[in-house]
Amino acid sequence: MAIRVTVVERPIEHVSYIRSTLSGLMTTFKHMVDPHKVTMQYPEERWELSPRWRGTHRMLTTESGKAKCVACGLCPTVCPANCIKLVPGEDEEGNRFPLLFEIDEFRCIFCGYCQEVCPEEAIHLGRHYENAEFSREAFIYDLERLTAQTHPVSELWDPADPKSE
Amino acid sequence: MSDTTGPKMVTLTIEGRTAVVPEGTSIIEAAKTVGVLIPHYCYHPGLPVAGVCRMCLVDVERFPKLAPACATTVMEGQVVHVHTEKAREARTGVLEFLLINHPLDCPVCDQAGECELQDYTFQEGRAESRYEEPKRFNPVEDFGGDVMYVPNRCILCTRCVRFMGEVAEDPVLNVSERGDRAFIGKAEGHDLTNVWAGNVVDLCPVGALLSKDFLNKARAWELDRSASICTGCSQGCNITVETRDNTVVRLKPRSNPAVNEYFMCEVGRLDYRWINRRDRLDQPQVRGDGGVLHVADWEAALDAAAAALRGRRVHVLASANASNEALFLAGELMRTSGGRGVFRVALGDEAPLPGVPDLSLRAERAANGTGARVLGYETLSTTPTIAADDAVLVLDDSLEGDVPDALLEAIARGAVIVHVGTTLPARIAPLLQVALPITNHTEEEGTFTNLRGRVQRFLQSRTAPGLARPSWYVLADLTERVGVTSGFGTPAEVFTAISSVHPAFSELTYAQLALRGLPILDATARGLDAPTTAGVA
Repeated sequence: MAIRVTVVERPIEHVSYIRSTLSGLMTTFKHMVDPHKVTMQYPEERWELSPRWRGTHRMLTTESGKAKCVACGLCPTVCPANCIKLVPGEDEEGNRFPLLFEIDEFRCIFCGYCQEVCPEEAIHLGRHYENAEFSREAFIYDLERLTAQTHPVSELWDPADPKSE
Repeated sequence: MSDTTGPKMVTLTIEGRTAVVPEGTSIIEAAKTVGVLIPHYCYHPGLPVAGVCRMCLVDVERFPKLAPACATTVMEGQVVHVHTEKAREARTGVLEFLLINHPLDCPVCDQAGECELQDYTFQEGRAESRYEEPKRFNPVEDFGGDVMYVPNRCILCTRCVRFMGEVAEDPVLNVSERGDRAFIGKAEGHDLTNVWAGNVVDLCPVGALLSKDFLNKARAWELDRSASICTGCSQGCNITVETRDNTVVRLKPRSNPAVNEYFMCEVGRLDYRWINRRDRLDQPQVRGDGGVLHVADWEAALDAAAAALRGRRVHVLASANASNEALFLAGELMRTSGGRGVFRVALGDEAPLPGVPDLSLRAERAANGTGARVLGYETLSTTPTIAADDAVLVLDDSLEGDVPDALLEAIARGAVIVHVGTTLPARIAPLLQVALPITNHTEEEGTFTNLRGRVQRFLQSRTAPGLARPSWYVLADLTERVGVTSGFGTPAEVFTAISSVHPAFSELTYAQLALRGLPILDATARGLDAPTTAGVA
């Protein structure tokens, strides 16, 4: 079947591209001189994160470099994603200490409940977002990994305005 | 307490609910009968009343001031209010005083989650402390035995002192010093080595007395609990098995006024590690053509076992910790073939708890010796005579430790030996024809009969290892294949069969036994039933 093409005659002001090209170029030239910039030159430039940003975890340590955790079991209890594995035990001095503390960052939903519930202010969410790894296993953070993290930690709420008023 | 013909009954109103209780009952117990829990620390139904904590203060109409519910007996027409402004204010005040020297270490305290101080503070305590002075500090003390004392957490309710003094009648503990310096002291040169001393850990309403065995092992809210019976001796104490990740981490007494009231001994309490043992027999094994035991599937193994036992006289060497159901089914094999059933039982020293009638760590250190005797087994006294073409069924006797050589020789004389057990007994493993894996008592349901002839149920608390099946299930399948029983689908059905065959068990069912058990009918005739006084008020 032959294709029948109907050519519609339109007025010149409807089909001319000169005017729209010029208006497009005008936008381009306006942005060349406009100081407002949208594109960020990552990774040379980075966003400044909110103090309440919730990223992957970090375990704070005492002055002696030991994890502050006392294995009370509140974070695995409160965790809605069930991503914290904790086996309580004792350290060399007989104090309560986690024998095993693992956070599955894949399972984690970054709600911040673990940080909020922690009575020792040990476990914190981190203020960072670069988490890439070469293997899936590396996303299960053990106690060693959690204490080795150095990035700043989440505030969860603005200290100056704790109730967001 | 529920006897309606004996004592005079008193009617009173507690929190708007009508309670009818015998004369002489305390308000706190009367409140329990109508579902009202009055906060308390020093009061415990198994101990004499002290009235020292002042936590159970309630508002009684027409009383000039608040009354301690534990030490006030009920009166006709009395109207009791637990949650009036006045009573609540008094209890909040008591809590504030208790918390003055109580450390804020709930995160590291083993009692957290099952702590009465935590519960009542949450319920009706102050949110913030007004105390500004430094808190009193005393170092942790080892009380000996399994008990550790953390004096900072102690609220001086004296439950432990009263238990050791009045119930165990071994007054090792006391209240030393006075005022805010007071603490629980231990008599010089004595330790809490009494076999009943571990109960002070259960009695302690806070985390002051802790079990060294359970220390830092698990949090209270992570544990799964199920009702069971202690297998430590023939007393049959009711217990709660507490597991974490399918591992038994501790045993706690479960109250039963007719058996153990609120207590259990150290022997039963600390003997739970064998339940978690890893070297279990977890797959059925059959001796093949090459003379080697190899893994088989259940159907093949049961067929092989049935073929080995069929047409032979079957003798049974049973464990005294096997359930009535398993013993009955194995007993059917030996009864129909004219065989003999024996069981071995370890003996130890008897250790009574003086404050509770008829409660003792019994000499016979197994749960179901009485059940085995009622079901036709005998204690192993003389070496059984086993003819050359007889079969021997070993029912969960691991033959570990001190086993008479004569017994091993007698077993070896059997033409075929079938083992139905939780482990593979090393001493007879080379002789076994078939080994069938079964679950232990925490992995199945069943009943034990204690030395007074009380039949008590135990429930499953963990999952079975590998392919192991409940003992009643394996033996029901086996006996059905041999052709001596048929059609058992649940342990309750096996128990119904026991009660229809054995007059001693007649008219008992699982539903009737519930979780506190019932005595077998001719217990008195058999001289098993000592006079028991029904529970305390």
